[in-house]
Amino acid sequence: MNTDLSPEATEFGREVLRALEAAGGDALVQQAEADPDRRQTVAAALADLGVWELDPRGDGDELEAAAAVARSCGSWAVPYPVAERLARPPDADGLVLVDEARPQAAVAGLGLRWAAVTLDGRRGPAVPREATAPPRTTAFVTGLDLGPLDDGGAGDRAGEVALALALPCWTLLGMLDRALALTREHVLRRTQFGRPLAALQGVQFQVADAEVERAGVEVLARYALWSIATGRPEAVADALALRSAAIDAADVVFRVAHQLHGASGFCDETQVSWLSRYSLPLRRLPFGPTATRERLTRALGRRGLPGPYGAAAALGGVR
Amino acid sequence: MSGPVDLDAFRATVRDWCRAHVPPRWREEQTGVSGEAYVRFQQAWFAELRGAGYAVPHWPAEWGGGMSVAEQVVLYQELAAADAPRLVLAFVSLHHAAATLLEAGTDEQRARHLPAILDGEIWVQGFSEPEAGSDLASLRTTARREGDEFVVNGQKIWASGGMHADWCLLLARTDPQAPKRRGISYFLMDMRSPGVDVRPIRQATGESHFCEVFLTDVRIPATQLVGPENAGWQVAQATLSTERGMTMLELAERLGNAGFRWLVAACTRPGPDGLRPIDDGAVADRLAALETEIVGLRALCRDFVDRSEAGRAGPADASVVKLFYSELLQRTMDFGTQVTGLASHTHLQKPLSSGWESGAWMLDFLGSWEWTIPGGASEIQRTIIAERGLGLPREPVMGS
Ligand SMILES: Cc1cc2nc3c(=O)[nH]c(=O)nc-3n(C[C@H](O)[C@H](O)[C@H](O)COP(=O)(O)OP(=O)(O)OC[C@H]3O[C@@H](n4cnc5c(N)ncnc54)[C@H](O)[C@@H]3O)c2cc1C
Repeated sequence: MNTDLSPEATEFGREVLRALEAAGGDALVQQAEADPDRRQTVAAALADLGVWELDPRGDGDELEAAAAVARSCGSWAVPYPVAERLARPPDADGLVLVDEARPQAAVAGLGLRWAAVTLDGRRGPAVPREATAPPRTTAFVTGLDLGPLDDGGAGDRAGEVALALALPCWTLLGMLDRALALTREHVLRRTQFGRPLAALQGVQFQVADAEVERAGVEVLARYALWSIATGRPEAVADALALRSAAIDAADVVFRVAHQLHGASGFCDETQVSWLSRYSLPLRRLPFGPTATRERLTRALGRRGLPGPYGAAAALGGVR
Repeated sequence: MSGPVDLDAFRATVRDWCRAHVPPRWREEQTGVSGEAYVRFQQAWFAELRGAGYAVPHWPAEWGGGMSVAEQVVLYQELAAADAPRLVLAFVSLHHAAATLLEAGTDEQRARHLPAILDGEIWVQGFSEPEAGSDLASLRTTARREGDEFVVNGQKIWASGGMHADWCLLLARTDPQAPKRRGISYFLMDMRSPGVDVRPIRQATGESHFCEVFLTDVRIPATQLVGPENAGWQVAQATLSTERGMTMLELAERLGNAGFRWLVAACTRPGPDGLRPIDDGAVADRLAALETEIVGLRALCRDFVDRSEAGRAGPADASVVKLFYSELLQRTMDFGTQVTGLASHTHLQKPLSSGWESGAWMLDFLGSWEWTIPGGASEIQRTIIAERGLGLPREPVMGS
């Protein structure tokens, strides 16, 4: 089993990173908050690269490319539902996983045709409500009016549900990459007591703990992707496990990032503040840490996950 | 205090007072209001409390306070339970400024400012600078003596509530040649002096309560020096620990009697599926663990204040309290966002004047992250506990 992204996917991700930098980089999210129509710049930049032609459902290579794109978009806290658009079913422009009791997503005001899918695989049209508050307080989250959901059945839709769960985790992973990189740069640059903060072991340990969390998410993210690409029956559980780990890691990474940035991390002069704020919809929707763990437990039942060493584990007998 | 007070009777009095005076719809009315409306509301509420003798219970009797610690606890409990607004705007005035004036001010300074604070004078703390955060002693703002005045130049940052302030507690360097902790002086600065320029900074929580303060040839009369010239560092150290005691009682009781009560309410409210979070064993377990910690915090704070008043506080006690409070606050708010789930995410506007029970758990959660930074970040508190409290060797870098 090789869960590394292909060199092509990795290179495509880099290309997207550079193109988005050229289109504004960190300023993209700031401009979009001031003027939501600016989000079309992002869509256009990605169109130029052929991102919207990717077919992650049809082809494993393109699935990897889609994941790499989502990650690059996370790095810049791109204020556009890129992963969600890449997960689209044939009859819509994008797909979001929702909690039926309270369907919401960060897709306000883009004029696209959305579909929503529930964890048990029922899908239907979703119409984003008009935003009632500025993005400053909503991060583009809005309620969705769901049309009738079909009864697609978990079996058929498992891959789709797993995709809708996993791709946004790649976006979040990109945010964690960046938050950690910014924190590392900050502690190397910021001097107190006559030396860089990075020289203090108490500071180094925190950065190290955050990196361990981030690296764990990266491994799980690749594994979940592999599980989807190879059509594993437990793909949804793998994606839930990824989501659970990603949310927990995000808590640690952003807490460390904020703490080590000192007061400046709470101000919009620092990109960490923007990343942290725009990571919230990904961490809370469609369900937060407790609910994710609970659904994961339900998905696992009494079987447990085979995981990367499943065959070997099976030899030891069923637990 | 004159003689023991019947605490039950006092509680009943405060409770009646709250029933009659806490504005019933202040939360709705203070959500999304302008800065001016917020200031007006804060000042009006302050005046109400003052009328009842509840605004400065922790001050000495001669200045309008004089409540025992036990009475203060009762007062804070009842205000929290009655969902009274907090005196957020006057926080620095009531605690930091008052502690400075009481500990180190001259009689004239006390007479000039303590009554004025009761009349609504707003203070800001101007300590931090862009290059001087944890290493506060490296501050660079200068105050040069010219006859009966000091001429101040430099920049302050993170001054909470700076845009509404009338006066500033200012640290500035008066002897650039001296070792860094021996060349700093402590001033009371009128924010309306020519050369003071205040600029708000926008924050992750969406508000801008931080300010930068630029100081250009600001003239401060020498009579507004607190303590001896060049002894400002020592004055600041002394007043910081007094202030910590004063603030913690109220904060701990507020968390226990308001923030935590709201959390319990959230846990017992049925969700869209009809289930109550509390029926989940894991939730009940976390809630019980938090309750235990909050009870511990309240006891810790009370004990600390008692010992501070008796002059028996240890050198790291204030740090223990600050560290425990700020990290417990984060755990509590984190749990709040989890239990309230999606609802907390859409609730992104909080009423000004509220404490950690705004109902906007997400914002309170983000806001709680700020608390491990000011007044000595957690890392600094841990260093103090290790070095001054436990007598472990000094980290080479901190001794400088
Ligand atoms: C909500 C809030 C309100 C504030 N209000 C005011 C105010 O009203 N007036 C005012 O003057 N200031 C105020 N401040 C500023 C506050 O005092 C500073 O933020 C604080 O002193 C830390 O400084 P810094 O932000 O520059 O962080 P830095 O000092 O740059 O520290 C960054 C990180 O490095 C860590 N670190 C630093 N030194 C060490 C060390 N030796 N060992 C281990 N770790 C270390 C810190 O703990 C922190 O996590 C406020 C800050 C906040 C967050």
